[in-house]
Amino acid sequence: MAQQLDSKCPSGPIEERWTRHKFALPLVNPANRRKYTVIVVGSGLAGASAAASLGEMGYSVLNFCIQDSPRRAHSIAAQGGINAAKNYPNDGDSIQRLFYDTVKGGDFRARESNVYRLSEVSNNIIDQCVAQGVPFAREYGGMLDNRSFGGAQVARTFYARGQTGQQLLLGAYGALMRQVKNGRVQVLPRREMVDLAVIEGQARGIVVRNLVSGEYERYSADAVLLATGGYGNVFYLSTNAKASNASAAWRCHKRGAFFANPCFTQIHPTCIPVSGTHQSKLTLMSESLRNDGRVWAAKETGETRRPSDIPEDMRDYYLERRYPGFGNLVPRDVASRAAKIECDLGHGLGATGQAVCLDFRDAIAKGGKDQIAAKYGNLFQMYEMITGENPYEVPMRIYPAVHYTMGGLWVDYNLESTIPGLFILGEANFSDHGANRLGASALMQGLADGYFVIPATITAQIAGRSREAVDTNHPEFARIEESARTRNEQILSVGGGRSAESIHRELGLIMWDKVGMGRNAAGLQQAQKEIAALREEFWSNVRVPGTSDHQNPGLEHAARLADFLELAEFFAADAEHRKESCGGHFRDEYQTEDGEALRRDDEFAYAAAWEFNKVGQPATLHKEELSFEYVKLATRSYK
Amino acid sequence: MSAHAETDCLNLTLNIWRQEGPHATGSFEVRQLQDISTHMSFLEMLDCVNEDLVSEGREPVSFDHDCREGICGMCSLVINGQVHGPQPETTTCQLHMRHFKDGETITIEPFRAEAFPVVRDLCIDRTALDRIITSGGYISVNTGSPQDANATPIAKPDSDLAMDAAACIGCGGCVAACPNAAAMLFTGAKVSQLALLPQGAPERESRVLSMVETMDAEGFGNCTNEYECMAACPKAIDVSHIARMNREYMRASLVGSSP
Amino acid sequence: MLGWLIRTASSSIGKKALMALTGLLLIGFLVVHLAGNLTFYMDGDGAAFDSYAETLESNPLLPLAEFGLLVLFVTHIVLALRVTKQNRDARKSRYAVRATAGGSTAGSRSMVITGIVLLVFLVVHIMDFRLQNDGTESMAALVREELSAPLGAGLYAVAMLALGLHVSHAFKSAMQTLGCNHPKYTPLIEKVSLGLGIVLGLGFLSFPLVIFFLGGSAAGGQA
Repeated sequence: MAQQLDSKCPSGPIEERWTRHKFALPLVNPANRRKYTVIVVGSGLAGASAAASLGEMGYSVLNFCIQDSPRRAHSIAAQGGINAAKNYPNDGDSIQRLFYDTVKGGDFRARESNVYRLSEVSNNIIDQCVAQGVPFAREYGGMLDNRSFGGAQVARTFYARGQTGQQLLLGAYGALMRQVKNGRVQVLPRREMVDLAVIEGQARGIVVRNLVSGEYERYSADAVLLATGGYGNVFYLSTNAKASNASAAWRCHKRGAFFANPCFTQIHPTCIPVSGTHQSKLTLMSESLRNDGRVWAAKETGETRRPSDIPEDMRDYYLERRYPGFGNLVPRDVASRAAKIECDLGHGLGATGQAVCLDFRDAIAKGGKDQIAAKYGNLFQMYEMITGENPYEVPMRIYPAVHYTMGGLWVDYNLESTIPGLFILGEANFSDHGANRLGASALMQGLADGYFVIPATITAQIAGRSREAVDTNHPEFARIEESARTRNEQILSVGGGRSAESIHRELGLIMWDKVGMGRNAAGLQQAQKEIAALREEFWSNVRVPGTSDHQNPGLEHAARLADFLELAEFFAADAEHRKESCGGHFRDEYQTEDGEALRRDDEFAYAAAWEFNKVGQPATLHKEELSFEYVKLATRSYK
Repeated sequence: MSAHAETDCLNLTLNIWRQEGPHATGSFEVRQLQDISTHMSFLEMLDCVNEDLVSEGREPVSFDHDCREGICGMCSLVINGQVHGPQPETTTCQLHMRHFKDGETITIEPFRAEAFPVVRDLCIDRTALDRIITSGGYISVNTGSPQDANATPIAKPDSDLAMDAAACIGCGGCVAACPNAAAMLFTGAKVSQLALLPQGAPERESRVLSMVETMDAEGFGNCTNEYECMAACPKAIDVSHIARMNREYMRASLVGSSP
Repeated sequence: MLGWLIRTASSSIGKKALMALTGLLLIGFLVVHLAGNLTFYMDGDGAAFDSYAETLESNPLLPLAEFGLLVLFVTHIVLALRVTKQNRDARKSRYAVRATAGGSTAGSRSMVITGIVLLVFLVVHIMDFRLQNDGTESMAALVREELSAPLGAGLYAVAMLALGLHVSHAFKSAMQTLGCNHPKYTPLIEKVSLGLGIVLGLGFLSFPLVIFFLGGSAAGGQA
């Protein structure tokens, strides 16, 4: 394939790149903006902030969301906080340091220019959100409070109790609804994107299914923005919401958008362990808990006592032991893998042995119960609600869970995919986190993309072009609508004996066992075979009752699962191809003598952008070589 | 761990509301359910019902849910006459089956209010709440470069109180629990949050006038201060936010400069 | 020009504020009314009560006060009917099973019913003591006559229980509607509300009970 990946990264000193790039971009006259229609799919932090900002600028925006209201997008569940290089605590933070930490934290698999831009606009995000009325935590003097968050040695995380994502999203949602009132944005809830219309090589619209009436609807536009989040639900059990899915991104991939680094998946270390086979999702406990809680496992194998009954000398504070420098605050990938190793070696606790402890005994003894309650009250309450145990009295049990996907559709510096006119924002793109995302950086990236990047870069596609409006009666719209309709009817007509739910659970088990935290070539090959077989099983034996002419939750789930069954195989193939360990991707074959990730920069310092060929056939690899001019390639060490 | 080793299982009888569409007549479907683990969440129990229905070749029960961790506000349900079930400060998705007894009959209904028409089965249309926000539940500031975030100090008690109000997840449980189907707690929480912050001051009057006008137009009832909303609210939002909205409204109406 | 006033008065919050204001004034009236009625117990033959009634009726400002009361009552009742109608309309399909989450009280739940009882009572009461009284008979005797009959005593007793229940919710509800909710004062307001309900309810209830069972003599008994 001759297509060259042009990241369009500006050259020159890194601190000037974004400013210079913005200056070089063409502009659209304010009076002309309303003539351009922009579709934004998704209403999370990236989608809502983009739709609101573009609306404010004067574009005509259509915003689609899968839930009944834009405010429900899963960004709302982010607990911990949002990073910014404000340096309010005067502890030596700077844009430079946030940039450095993020590149290093991402294990040198992110683009330097993008990360620097992210760090640069981080401060504007905080200003913007405070102006919107986001009630960030404050100190008694009335100033904003900051805390230190997983992996950072400076306090740069802004937070709103344990509900930072909610507050930021409601800020963006407010801004969005203001544009609805102003007539600049039309919100279309309970719609699921089923395909992308690519006309004359440009993304010119989408087809959605109305989740109330079951009807297919066509919308044309001058640009399509995808902010549909990640694909963590390919694991069935994850911290993602039930409706979180990869279908929109996957359909775009199948229409020609390259998908990059799908194997970079974040497994969050502090989740509530699985309690049984009925489990439908996992609940994350904010990583901020590790600021005060101490993580430990049993010193001996085969420990059967209740964690609270295990004496001090039989506890192994393995993070403090192995990483004296960072202790309990090591980055997520390191903490997750360490927990898995402890459990695999038989040091796990609880009935399943698949849990380690996060203990607040010492913190409560030192600062008092009230202080801990003030910081983490709602998290403790949530833990008790789910497990029936009181974490003020007994240690919490935690285990890693799939949480975030760093991979996603490939984008250039303008956030534009390989399909002109299709932009990808937030978790749905692959851009800023490399192989591992630092805590409190996802909210930062989503809002950076939506508030500050896309309003500037969208003009790269639409400025100065006089183009014909595309009629939704265009044959391409008819064709893709028909293909979506046929696909759904096919699912309904299988009439087999297995529910989509049970197939999804099986897919999740394959993914978790073989494409989860510890991966190896044999397992990954096996996984691909099993997934392909499961996909066959789906298309020959799934049972989805009912019809498609109204809301049918069974059909909606099955259709998303069908895409996951394709994505999963592709995911495993990418993991197999990347013969190194880095960040969220750990290959058993590539580790140091003491079990740490072994990165292979000479061969794999690139982003793997894959071009779709055919279901069940290998995708074509396009490499975007990554160069590190400002942060020197080095082995991550948190010892 | 002892709490885990227990294999407590429940046999239940469910009365589930089924309704084909907004204009269809609904009725209860009675279903028997065996061996439900007490560790399941309420929605996981409904997942079991749906698995059974699929195996019978019938369409699953539609119910709204998404995050399943108590924050998105998508889940709803009135369980045995109580909004979000019997546990205080708990959304339906976080309600666990250990709070039910073996052999119990559980009646599951949608949130009922004229402003929340049923979409299908237990799914309801809560866009009326979005329209209340659209009419003014925000601070009108464009994306750009506002002043530095620390330029305006905010007293911690005010900021904390604003956060209490802002914790609303927009589930509409207050409306469902209110004997009058009023949306005062939902609307009051947003008005109150923004009235407590200096950033919200410039639009203080127009905001409350327009949000209350929309709330009334959407067909919600009037507040009779029964406080069922607060008791049912999964985030325990206090009715003092309603009082603050009442003050804001009368102030804006009687002495405000808005026409 | 008065558009804003009409808009305010017809809004949900405005209507409730008007109900709260009229309600509070009516509570004020009840307190004065009870204080006046208590003169009934000052002596055995009802002379104090009669003299109080006479003073009241000879006051030239009485019609004005009565008109004011009428306005208060009518406003309060008309708004209550309107609010109730709207509240019913806001939920046409009822729940099959209903349980309280713990917010409401007996007083709050029964506001509409106690309100209707009081409306019926009000009509009877005005007919009994305001319209039937031609000024020749002693007011105390009239009261005694009315309340020694089982029907009269029964109606009055039920109505006064309703009054107590109504007021126990009314005062705190009115304060909340008028925006008086403060962590420092709300607990007190709630106690006052309950206290007012008990005092007004029992105070007025004492008349039918005492007259019916003790033959209408003063609390201290007839000499």
